[in-house]
Amino acid sequence: MTRWGLVIDTDRCTGCGACAVACHAENNIQTVGEEEAAKGRAMHWMRIERYYEGTFPDVRVRFQPVLCQQCRQAPCEPVCPVYATYRTPEGLNAMVYARCIGTRYCANNCPYTVRFFNWFSPEFPEPLQRQLNPDVSVRPAGVMEKCTFCVQRIQDAQDIAQDEDREVRDGEIRTACSQSCPAQAITFGDLDDPASRVSQMAEEQRATRLLEDLSTEPSVIYMRGGR
Amino acid sequence: MSNAVARSHEEQLIRPLTAFRPKLFVGSLVTGLLVGLLFYSWGYQIVNDIGVAGINRPVFWGFYITNFVFWIGISHAGTLISAILRVTQAEWRRPVTRCAEAITTFALMIGGLFPLIHLGRPLIFWYMVPIPTGRGIWPNFRSPLMWDIMAITTYLLGSLLYLFLPLIPDMAILRDRAMKVSPRSVRTLFFRVMALGWRGTPQQWHSLEAGIRAMAVIIIPVAVSVHTIVSWDFAMAVQPMWHSTIFGPYFVVGAIYSGVAVLMVAMYLLRRGLGIGEYLSDKVFNNLGLLFLAFALMWGYFTFAEHLTVWYGHEHAEMTVFNQRISGEYAWVFWTMIVTNVVIPLSVLPFPKGRSPLGTAIVGLGVLVGMWIERFLIVVGTLRYPRLDFNVGTYSPTWVEVGILVGSVGLFVFLYFAFVQTTPIVSIWEVREGHHLEVKARMQHLAAAKEEPHV
Amino acid sequence: MSEGRTHAAFESPYDLRDALKRLAADGVSSKDIEIRSSAPLDHDVFPDGAGVHSRMPWMALLGAFGGGTAFFLMVKLTSEAYPLPTGHMAIVALPTAGVITFEGIAIGAIICTVATVLYECGLPALFRSRQGPLDHHLADDHVLLSVRCDEGASEAWTAGALETARD
Repeated sequence: MTRWGLVIDTDRCTGCGACAVACHAENNIQTVGEEEAAKGRAMHWMRIERYYEGTFPDVRVRFQPVLCQQCRQAPCEPVCPVYATYRTPEGLNAMVYARCIGTRYCANNCPYTVRFFNWFSPEFPEPLQRQLNPDVSVRPAGVMEKCTFCVQRIQDAQDIAQDEDREVRDGEIRTACSQSCPAQAITFGDLDDPASRVSQMAEEQRATRLLEDLSTEPSVIYMRGGR
Repeated sequence: MSNAVARSHEEQLIRPLTAFRPKLFVGSLVTGLLVGLLFYSWGYQIVNDIGVAGINRPVFWGFYITNFVFWIGISHAGTLISAILRVTQAEWRRPVTRCAEAITTFALMIGGLFPLIHLGRPLIFWYMVPIPTGRGIWPNFRSPLMWDIMAITTYLLGSLLYLFLPLIPDMAILRDRAMKVSPRSVRTLFFRVMALGWRGTPQQWHSLEAGIRAMAVIIIPVAVSVHTIVSWDFAMAVQPMWHSTIFGPYFVVGAIYSGVAVLMVAMYLLRRGLGIGEYLSDKVFNNLGLLFLAFALMWGYFTFAEHLTVWYGHEHAEMTVFNQRISGEYAWVFWTMIVTNVVIPLSVLPFPKGRSPLGTAIVGLGVLVGMWIERFLIVVGTLRYPRLDFNVGTYSPTWVEVGILVGSVGLFVFLYFAFVQTTPIVSIWEVREGHHLEVKARMQHLAAAKEEPHV
Repeated sequence: MSEGRTHAAFESPYDLRDALKRLAADGVSSKDIEIRSSAPLDHDVFPDGAGVHSRMPWMALLGAFGGGTAFFLMVKLTSEAYPLPTGHMAIVALPTAGVITFEGIAIGAIICTVATVLYECGLPALFRSRQGPLDHHLADDHVLLSVRCDEGASEAWTAGALETARD
């Protein structure tokens, strides 16, 4: 059975933010503008969290890219009254935009704060609408959204593999963030395939997960501790 | 009290229904304007999208959910009085049952609006209703929001019927009176329809009283379950200072506390405004004041237990939220709440002079403010400080949210004014029944005294 | 000798009790007697019991059982019709189904109780209910006694009444 997972090597992460930008471009995420961002409504499915350690001059910055952890026991799923979010057989936490009525309970129950709400409808002034990805919908106001592990790319690769009568190969699917990272810190793959890179990295000593004590069983693995 | 005196007191009760009362009329107009504000703000939000409110990430819930919990909490007034006091056969509850049950019904109606108001896409709210659709998909009953819907629907239906059943004989009294005086007026027709053809035969009384007794017993667990389920909107979430097992009982106690507070204010205003001090007597205020004190103590106990547990455990995520309340940005809000909900009630209510109508009403107003603050702190305080510290947020409400809050208070008072002008706010037949029981008890006492040998 | 009803209004339930005793002594059947009051009367006012009955507690229990079953089935069948796994929970999660079932028990009991009350009281009776000539006495907390009898029948039982009438 396929179970999608992502490995992020924080020892390689430079905090450049290319993953966040690529995610915006790939997934038609709206740019909310200065005023709305000041109110705390910016939408970054993938964000780089910065934690400062130590005091000047021995300050160190820790970068932590955070995205939807696609938890195996997601706290956001049972609380949605209309099944707008549920677990797919391939291990993704699906977000069904058409079904969402905007109660925002899922966002409140996410311990990672990875869910984003469309407070207003997105505006793409000319000619920015030409940049939109045709494989991804544009969400209207009142709908929740979050990282989908670029499900459109997964679907695309699976379709091609089916046409060619074969399995999807490891490394064939690249999420927008893993594709754009200059340090190659992000790897995507099938955690249930023992030969895949992600499942091997998940077994390494440096592998950890965020907020593990909450038993959400995230599918995103962070590699940390090298430096 | 003699029959003639009792009848003259009843005339006071019936006056708002038959005579034009300028103060009530003006009150209805003013609150009608506030109702307009409510619907204007709400309409503005529907047209211009939910972003016109102040909620954001991570504070996804703000004023609307605070108001929702607040109004549902207030709705527990009636259940305490008309159900619990009926079941325990406390005779002094007789004049108070209807005005309390009216508070319950209207507060529930208003509280039930807020889940609609806070939706991002309110026009498809019906996705939450379990009706068969072409999509073949149904609502998710695992969600506490669905439990909310079931519970509030049940409680609203129950409250409406529980308000309505004892109203039938009173409508019959008004009908019989009006038929003699003005058989053709619209008001008389209203009373005739509302009385449903009630005749007052022993069989009807027996069935009605059996039904009211059954409803009283049923509605108590419903009320407990409603506010427990509302509290579980928070307790089921794994957020710091939300995920607490104490929330169920804590919120029920808080709900009854805020319900009694509204009741004290409402009773004081009714007593002053309608001149019905013979019904809403000092004794009633005293007894309710004692209940008020009991709930102040219980609320204080639960609040202390909750905060002590959090502080002692000293978990990082929970302490961040806790410190915000005790000494941080919301400290002034928190300590105001402690003053209005604990310090003032415990300084005033233990004394008989403090349990006067004005005393309890003033304490009640303070408690209302304090209980709203409590809900606000729980909702916004936790959401501001998510577990991943990078995502700290702030919240400031916009005019839309304030307008809807003020408008909802206006709607409540508007509905209450309308109720006062269409039904007697004290249950006439229940007071009469109480009077008969008193007479009977006195006669039995006299008969027993006559039979005793002189010492 | 035309049939009709004789109405009498009494000030207190104790006057009513005396009148009922006299009617019983005259052998008037309880089917021909109608008592009306604006507040419930104590049952010791009636010489041979009020003859009232109610199915109430059983109807409420029946409604509770029906409502609880209906709501539980609603949860079970709808969850199984389009099963979507959420979090760690089963498709038909019993604790959450329990909450919904509880509300179903309550709503079933409420609806059945109110329906029983209305049925047993014969309400609404907007067109069937007859107005009587002395009904306004009910507004003054007096009790009404109506007896169906022939015109010339003994009216000794109306002694002590505030007012009588015939229709």
